[in-house]
Amino acid sequence: MLRFWKKRIKTGVITENLEFDRGLEEIKKEIKDKIKRYFAGSLAIRMVDSGSCNACEAECNALSNPYYDLQRLGIHFVASPRHADVLLLSGVMTFNMYHHVWDAYNQMPSPKWVITLGDCPYNLSVFEKTYAIKGVDLPVDFHIPGCPPNPENIIKGFLEFLKGFEK
Amino acid sequence: MRLIARFALEKKEKFEIIDVFDKEIKRTQIDKKTPFIKSIAHKYPAAIWMERKIKDEFGIDFEGCFDKRPAVKHERFPKDIYPLRKDFNKQEIDFCEFKPYSYEEIKGEGIFTVPVGPIHAGIIEPGHFHFSQAGEEILHLEVRHFYKYRGLEKMVEGKNPFEIQKIISRISGNESIAYQKAFFDILAKASCVEIPENLKRKQAILLEIERIIHHLTDLGFIPNDAGFAPALAFMSKLSEEARRVFYKLTGHRFAFDALKEEIFIDNKLLDEFLPYLKKEVEFFKNWINDIPSLWDRMDTTGCLSRKKALKYGVVGVAARASGIAIDVRDDDFYKNYGFKMQLGVKGEVADRFKLRIEEIFNSIEMINNLKTQENENFALGEIKDGEYMSFTESSIGELFMYLKIMEGKVERFFVRDPSFVNWQAFHTTIYKDIIADFPLINKSFDLSYAGNDL
Ligand code: SF4
Repeated sequence: MLRFWKKRIKTGVITENLEFDRGLEEIKKEIKDKIKRYFAGSLAIRMVDSGSCNACEAECNALSNPYYDLQRLGIHFVASPRHADVLLLSGVMTFNMYHHVWDAYNQMPSPKWVITLGDCPYNLSVFEKTYAIKGVDLPVDFHIPGCPPNPENIIKGFLEFLKGFEK
Repeated sequence: MRLIARFALEKKEKFEIIDVFDKEIKRTQIDKKTPFIKSIAHKYPAAIWMERKIKDEFGIDFEGCFDKRPAVKHERFPKDIYPLRKDFNKQEIDFCEFKPYSYEEIKGEGIFTVPVGPIHAGIIEPGHFHFSQAGEEILHLEVRHFYKYRGLEKMVEGKNPFEIQKIISRISGNESIAYQKAFFDILAKASCVEIPENLKRKQAILLEIERIIHHLTDLGFIPNDAGFAPALAFMSKLSEEARRVFYKLTGHRFAFDALKEEIFIDNKLLDEFLPYLKKEVEFFKNWINDIPSLWDRMDTTGCLSRKKALKYGVVGVAARASGIAIDVRDDDFYKNYGFKMQLGVKGEVADRFKLRIEEIFNSIEMINNLKTQENENFALGEIKDGEYMSFTESSIGELFMYLKIMEGKVERFFVRDPSFVNWQAFHTTIYKDIIADFPLINKSFDLSYAGNDL
């Protein structure tokens, strides 16, 4: 384990100051206020896959790697919809997932928001409607485009979503 | 003989069942009026889901099958439609009344069930795991899938094969290059051209990088599920770096739509990254080797016995970790560039973990040998009607793809993802473990849900 700590100290903090961090700096106070006021200090997200190719999930998992370290922004993923403010939805919404997704949504306490992640839930991406695809009919508040959106764009998307509360 | 796939297609007068084994292909024509055929599930248990799927999609009955429950048709799916028949062309169907699915459950005093999913606690794909428990001890597990069933096989029917490349790219995000490669091989065969050596080499490089990224991700998540988070921090950093290299090489972090007739690979980038990667993985290996509490969790856990693996026709990482030498790359082309079969011994979580490390080293070595500056002129030609099959070793295992082209259009498209057979053997691995080991075991296999469900 010592070996690891040696390496850990040598590596230092690699979390990137992505270009939007500067923008973030400016709106940080406001975002914090908003998050504080609307989300009790932290924005809790429940991710649900309604029929994706799994790349959108992989990019969400990447948000927790040391380069992005999403939690530093007060945004974190939760295990239960009952703990969530936001439902983050990926995938085309298959026939077989339809009722489960609605169940998850209904379990969320109000106020609640839905963000669609990636092109699949928005316009089916490259796919086409089949008998096995229902499409999304949740009340969607915000969309993060991309196939898949990369981690940087997902974070940007969250910030844009939060900015909406400034109005 | 190993069963690779059993699937159906509709012809003018008859239905046809195609059984693909490793040594032969059997075709059976069956009558359309009362379609039925003998089940082979007693001998080949991996046929269970294949037959259930055929029954759901084509309405063909299986004589002597012991599992008559629907597979892709879930509780509210209309029972009387057969979506893969040619006379079905609806794009929209309505929900039916809820008909409960009868899970495999063990009943008795003090025995209870733990249903897990389809939506899970973490950021993973949906699927259902149905445990019968006696306290912490697992008595039985049924794995139930097809929540992500998108109807892709039907979606691509009637299209020009070149039109569906973007869809092929996005069937299973972690195996995108493998799917693209399987499809590219089919297109090459259908247009009667040989893929030139240098292009093959570059395709192989991309396939190996995809494998490396998948393995790196798992090497972080497996220890994490045993409660050892530093490994995840270390490996998620490394896999992010590898993904960025993938992006620089292909213009996409998952290399969607990257397998073209001409591929450019920046060898300099590889020369910089691969030695670094190798050093980091070596460090990781030594570091993890010294953590006995982690091996306590990984050793003896989630054992897939060689016998069961053979019985189910398990493929890929899971099979090799149980000591079965099966890998599509075990051919002259790959051996020429340094492929070495990696094998585990006991088929436990620890074996799959170690196997992934060794496969990364082998992939790095192969990429170094596969690098090439040369380029040939190459173009896929005109597509000829016919039936084509291909095999590719994805990061999970053997991927089988079938395409039938008629009048220049896709008549039938079929895929058997490696996960499709491996999932069926999954339940055999948990009987000596407690339910808390399940996430760890699941991660050590890291099978695809999207590819399984299609
Ligand atoms: S949007 Fe693209 S990357 Fe995301 S799930 Fe759909 S196909 Fe996959």
